[in-house]
Amino acid sequence: MSPKEEVYTRHGGKGGDRGKILAEMMNAEGKPEVLDDILVLDVSSANFAGIVAASLFAEFGAEVIKIEPSEGDPARQITPFGVTVQGVGIPFMFEGRNKRYMTLDIRNRPEDRKTFAKLAKQAAVVIESFAPGEMDGWGIGYRQLAAENPGLIYIALSAYGQYTDKARESAKMPDTDITSQAGSGLPAQMGAPPNEPEPYTWPLRGGMWAGWYISGLSAVLGGTVALIHRQNTGQGQMVDVAGMDAYSSMVGMPATIGFTWEKARPRIGVLDFILYPYGHWKCKDGFVAIAAPRDHDFRALLKVLGLWEQEDDWRYSSDRIPDILEQAIHLHKIIEEKTLLYTGDELVKMALNYSKKSARSKWRGGGVPIVMKLMTPEEAMGNKQWHIRKAFQEVEDKKLGKYTISSNFVKMSESPPRVKWVGSEIGGDNEYIRKKYLND
Amino acid sequence: MEDYFSYTAKLFNPDEASQKPEALKGIRVMDFSHVIFGPIAARLLADYGAEVIKLELPFYGDLWRPATYWGKYWKHSNPIWHNITKNKYFLSVNLQLKESKALIYKMAESADVVIENFAPGTADAWGIGYEKISKINPNIIFLSCSTYGQFGPMRYFPGWDLLAQGASGVLTLNGYPDTDNFYKLPDYVGDFVPGNFASLAVLMALYHRKKTGKGQYIDMAQTEGLMRTLFHYTYYSVTQKAIGRTGNVDPTMVPAAIFKTADDKFLALACATSEQFKNFALAIGRPELSSDPRFADTLERLKPENAKALHEIAVDWIRSQSCADVIRLADDKNFPAAEVADDYMIANEEWRRKRGSVVLFKDDVYGNLVIAGPSAMLSGTPSRTKWLARPLGYHNRLVLKKFLGLSEADIEKLEKKKVIGTFDDRPGLKPPVYYDLSKDPIYNYGKEVGK
Repeated sequence: MSPKEEVYTRHGGKGGDRGKILAEMMNAEGKPEVLDDILVLDVSSANFAGIVAASLFAEFGAEVIKIEPSEGDPARQITPFGVTVQGVGIPFMFEGRNKRYMTLDIRNRPEDRKTFAKLAKQAAVVIESFAPGEMDGWGIGYRQLAAENPGLIYIALSAYGQYTDKARESAKMPDTDITSQAGSGLPAQMGAPPNEPEPYTWPLRGGMWAGWYISGLSAVLGGTVALIHRQNTGQGQMVDVAGMDAYSSMVGMPATIGFTWEKARPRIGVLDFILYPYGHWKCKDGFVAIAAPRDHDFRALLKVLGLWEQEDDWRYSSDRIPDILEQAIHLHKIIEEKTLLYTGDELVKMALNYSKKSARSKWRGGGVPIVMKLMTPEEAMGNKQWHIRKAFQEVEDKKLGKYTISSNFVKMSESPPRVKWVGSEIGGDNEYIRKKYLND
Repeated sequence: MEDYFSYTAKLFNPDEASQKPEALKGIRVMDFSHVIFGPIAARLLADYGAEVIKLELPFYGDLWRPATYWGKYWKHSNPIWHNITKNKYFLSVNLQLKESKALIYKMAESADVVIENFAPGTADAWGIGYEKISKINPNIIFLSCSTYGQFGPMRYFPGWDLLAQGASGVLTLNGYPDTDNFYKLPDYVGDFVPGNFASLAVLMALYHRKKTGKGQYIDMAQTEGLMRTLFHYTYYSVTQKAIGRTGNVDPTMVPAAIFKTADDKFLALACATSEQFKNFALAIGRPELSSDPRFADTLERLKPENAKALHEIAVDWIRSQSCADVIRLADDKNFPAAEVADDYMIANEEWRRKRGSVVLFKDDVYGNLVIAGPSAMLSGTPSRTKWLARPLGYHNRLVLKKFLGLSEADIEKLEKKKVIGTFDDRPGLKPPVYYDLSKDPIYNYGKEVGK
């Protein structure tokens, strides 16, 4: 165990061995795949929630067939600043994991719908994102497919869901990430406090695809619950995911706070509603994240930053909850004056040194102020931690060449998820699929 | 054939959800976790029918019990905690005592899943880690949640949602370019998203165990969960450039942003495809835009200079319209738009109540509370809410008598030795003051209670 590692644990000793044993235990090579007997058909269109759900099934070993018309899923062109590699957008490359690609135009060609129905008879899971009722109108909706295949799990993604009058009225409104974020309550909670200038005070979009990734994750979670029920009973079911539910249903706060407070929260910038200090501060050479929310952590932080004279100030010692905004902003600035004097590395070291002593001392009350250099995604890629944990993987697409993805998002000792290959060629597996599933 | 929406209304009828079967019935989970990341993974299993026993220290409890938004309690409980820990059994045992270990080991014999999110190494040091539990029950599925994972040089670093957002890069993405104005994602979503990934891993392990009989150890790092959602890494590896912050504009579609309307409301509007863009151009009375060489082709349209021009057109048009008019047009002409929904709207909009994604729940202890429904609706084995969070140690008797076969005398002995316990007077731990626990048949499970 390195001196750094000793810092936060009082249970030292075998730490180094434990790490090695675990790393070995989590090696995915040669391990079985959970869903190796599951066929998934993804006919989602211009919807990354569907693509993400399909990827997650594929990472756990399912045979996933991405079905799209011969001009390709429009999702291929949903990409930052229009950047592509040979016409394939970055998000599509990122999600092109362990999939087969087949061309069928189920929107326009009745004979392709028949082929699709043949495949669906053998499938465990169908994923689609057409307007609610549209597949049903084509004779290949849940009702019709389940009649032929009662074990089928049919995952439908849309903006407002598959039932209720609202779903009927807004059936044709497509689902996108930013409308899902806005409609399910994320941007309303993010942005500068009211005393700052526009547009910083506006509700702010999350800089990741929070709507689509939450919907995709919810779809695959619901789908896997349905797979367990199918494993036990043979029965399939329909799974309905609405983009306008994504954020609010996952975190739960908006509904309950809207009810108990009888009003909406304001936006409070870098502050937090519960914890303080819990956010990021500017330092000499960038930004640091600081979390020292418990009283003993806060006191430790004051000591580390040379702010001990603030300790007996009634405003900060016992009540740091930022319900009085001016007070919280004031304290934020007091801390910032100090963080600006140091580099990120210096601040991290100062906190570590304190914590190391604190963890072994009965006099310091165990205060552990956490300071971390804030990283951009690009900087995160260089972190040794993720190298050792194989969190990033260089992959090679036959046509598009080499690129890097984040993968192995969970380590499992018996049946871990993994990325075996990436691909994106439209219709690239037509022949394989026809031979294997359609007896052509 | 029956109209699609009347068919689905019956298929998903929220009023019938509580009578439908539960997919995870019979699965028993020991939940040692605290705060949000671990508890949410356990709660999702409980929502689908697993028996989740949440273990907390007597008279102290989960750190998150008193952690309320702006310090506001609701009926002496933390309102948001009802969402994080509903449907669980609340057992309060003192992990430090030998007698407690005996109880826990006995419980582990028949458990299917164990969930913990102590600092890595702590569970093993306390004798409740995978090493020990898998000897008692070799088929156990054991989930360890942490910020940086169970191995690697950073494994002992403590973490919160904030640190996972900071370490993955998510935090730096939410804000405006060329300024210091950026913010962490709100509401601890850096706990909730990885919590869902962790729950997914447990479900996969359950599926695998049914096929092979084998349990396993799961190491879920919340930073890696967040990293799975960022294609920014691939963008960088392909272009050697960063996407960076783009304010309220989504750079993957155009127009796609949050806009201000004539009536000073905010809405999101997006066109993900050429078809949606054509519909939008028609709706704003500018059909020529969809054949403009700068905008006709999707990739051409996304180029920064063209995207900017088109964004400005959208800004001007939306600034001249009321929010309701834009949404109405979007519904009619089939392009995506949504008003920015705040807490109050989400709690009160009728369609969410009808759908069951927002639920007015009637609880035996707390009465009526509006909570979020599931983020995926299942027609056959739906997620459901059976009860809200409970005071510390509320299910001590039920769990020990029903699941472990202890007698009232055994339990009184344990209480005397302070092996098990309940709450003190702090809000978040205790029941509402008006609630008479002595008459509660579950709290007093197996005893006579006066009505």
